[in-house]
Amino acid sequence: MAAATMTPEEARILAAKNKKIKRRNAVNLTLRYTVLILVGIVMVYPLIWMVGATFKDNSEIFTSINPIPKNITFTGYQDAVKSYGGNINIWKAMFNTYSYVIPEVILTVISSTLAAYGFARFKFIGRNVMFALMMAMLFLPQVVLNVPQYLLFNKFGWIGSQYYLPLIVPTAFATETYFVFMLVQFLRNVPHELEEAAEIDGCGSFQTLVRIVVPMIMPAIVSCALFKFMWASNDFMGPLLYVNTPAKYPATIFVKLSMDSDSGFNWNRVLATSLISIMPNILVFFLAQNQFVDGVSAGGVKG
Amino acid sequence: MKKKILAAILSTAMVATLLTGCGGSADATADTSAADTETETAEADTAAETETAEETEAEASGEVTYEECTLTFDWWGGDSRHEATQAAVDAFMTKYPGITVEVNFGAWTDWETAKAAEYLSGNNPDVQQTNFDWIGKYDADGETYLDLNTVSDVLDLTQYDQSTLDTAMDSKGGLAGIPVSITGRTFYWNQATFEQAGLSVPTTLDELLAAGPVFQEKLGDNYYPLVVGEYDRAILMAFYLQAQTGEPVINESGNFTLTEDQVKEGLAWIQSLEEAHVIPTIAYIDGEGADSMDKSARFINGEYAGIFEWDSSPAKYLSALGENSGDLVVGNEIIDGVFKKVSLMFSISATTEHPKEAALLLNYLLNDEEGAAIMSTERGIPESKSAYAVLEAAGAIGAMEAEAHAAVMDADPMYWNPLFDDSSLKGDTAVYTTVFEQFSYGQDASGAAYTIDDAASDLYNAYIAVAPAE
Repeated sequence: MAAATMTPEEARILAAKNKKIKRRNAVNLTLRYTVLILVGIVMVYPLIWMVGATFKDNSEIFTSINPIPKNITFTGYQDAVKSYGGNINIWKAMFNTYSYVIPEVILTVISSTLAAYGFARFKFIGRNVMFALMMAMLFLPQVVLNVPQYLLFNKFGWIGSQYYLPLIVPTAFATETYFVFMLVQFLRNVPHELEEAAEIDGCGSFQTLVRIVVPMIMPAIVSCALFKFMWASNDFMGPLLYVNTPAKYPATIFVKLSMDSDSGFNWNRVLATSLISIMPNILVFFLAQNQFVDGVSAGGVKG
Repeated sequence: MKKKILAAILSTAMVATLLTGCGGSADATADTSAADTETETAEADTAAETETAEETEAEASGEVTYEECTLTFDWWGGDSRHEATQAAVDAFMTKYPGITVEVNFGAWTDWETAKAAEYLSGNNPDVQQTNFDWIGKYDADGETYLDLNTVSDVLDLTQYDQSTLDTAMDSKGGLAGIPVSITGRTFYWNQATFEQAGLSVPTTLDELLAAGPVFQEKLGDNYYPLVVGEYDRAILMAFYLQAQTGEPVINESGNFTLTEDQVKEGLAWIQSLEEAHVIPTIAYIDGEGADSMDKSARFINGEYAGIFEWDSSPAKYLSALGENSGDLVVGNEIIDGVFKKVSLMFSISATTEHPKEAALLLNYLLNDEEGAAIMSTERGIPESKSAYAVLEAAGAIGAMEAEAHAAVMDADPMYWNPLFDDSSLKGDTAVYTTVFEQFSYGQDASGAAYTIDDAASDLYNAYIAVAPAE
């Protein structure tokens, strides 16, 4: 309608304006992408360098920042897959890692959800005190716990257990307080009405949890699982304390086995073993990326 | 729906039983292993005839008798050490059938933390590679490590100099461990850089001091004839002062022999090295961010032409230099003084049930012709005379290691008290690091001026806290 009443002069001005806006947008876009790409390269560079460094020898690793090696050597990978006296190799170490990481993740998720549900939905004697205690645990560094925990597990006879009991069992008791806290916060945003409706339909409290609450807080649970997965598979001190047979070593310890600061070692081997052993983690992260990012940001939103 | 819930509950219960099953199994395995040994002894009884036959045979050949048992053994180290030690343990088990050795090994990083927890709970392994300062840390009461004199019938202590063994004495006068090797600091020079500067590798302190300005003039500000960190500076300063006074800085009775003024004199000497461009400042070293010289691009490129390092570690620097490794040469001790210490030891737990068999293992690893050959120089050049003879005959001692070791061992050392390495003095946050760092920076952590007087007084007080003045 407006266009119909426009004089040719006005139309020309409008077209020029549009063109100008388009050009400005294009400039904007190029600028934005240039900045993004530059920053992106800076962020990814160490990882690319690490991949390159697995093909370098020691002297080149410490003198060159060029990710592309000058003299390519494959000894890093050849050594990486070598076994230690037939007891342990990288594949077995990775298998060992996941043989306790997966139970840890599952138990953590179940126990944290149960604990969070309890704190968020039920009134019981001492709830506030217990919640405060739990929050206090959040600030307790693991280092402080190492010795008493070691003594306790020693009493149980769990040190050197071939089922990784000292690593797995505690996770069944909602010891990752951060997750309990996060899930409680998340549960506060879940409307009570849904649960009341479920109750009217004849659901008990456990059923309400499984059928109503868990699906609602799924993104938060997924991020708990992913966090736990990353922490547990990067844990070094736990396995070092509680695993004392080389055949049972997880990847974190295996990677370090060759690192002898006294007589020196080949960095390319260490980097190659690290690279191989983080592959599953990267894979899991990419697969769950959407859920994960949802969960992390959703966990931060307060009502 | 109910079925599903039932299934869920049942599976949870199953998991629970599984877990408790595992919980019990640790004990169970202990029981079964006990049972195993019982059956083994039973078998041994039934096979008594052959056994006695073996024993008499063994006795005839002068070998010791032993019980069948399982020993635990652990150590820290790198690839080649893990391989050699495992091979030696396997050979031991072949030679002494019936003794099973369960090994555990890892890297040094955090190893001590894990071991500290073990000492605390008393489940440290039967045989263990131990660090020299662990005697003071974990065996203060002399109850952690077995007095090895008690097993000297199996473990041949005559292969060691008494003076070496004396260093590993615990508070009760027992032998807490066997020093596997002695290591010391020596100089390594990058010959190529010195040649570039038109100089030959320094053989005296004066030549080194003279090289500083020449390096600066001919090669540039970033070239230094020597690089030394905080701890190295403490050692060099002690050497310098010992040469002045003719007395060890800490004498045999554990007394600090210097005055505060003499400490100040030593610090002034270190400062003069920095000023004369002989050594870089700590700020310059830190600026690169390399935590040891084998990771320093400046060392690899030849800008730092000299290092003061353990005689046992040339391999690390040679490998760092890559194709230029031929440039690195061992220097002689250009300063009058040698710093030697026990690099590591083997100990037996005082609570072991099989001290004799544990000693048998140690003797095999340390003194036995076959065992020593497999163990090679993975823990430094062995102190054991028989092991040294075997390795020398086999040509297993690398030329550079041998040369560096000779430089340390042949020098006529002044007495060196192990208190010099006390944990209050040496360590990442201990006095040597803080004093020499702040002194080189000229300021303390808060930015306030840190003068030579402050440094001298801090260092002096730290010394006399460990080793009282006479």
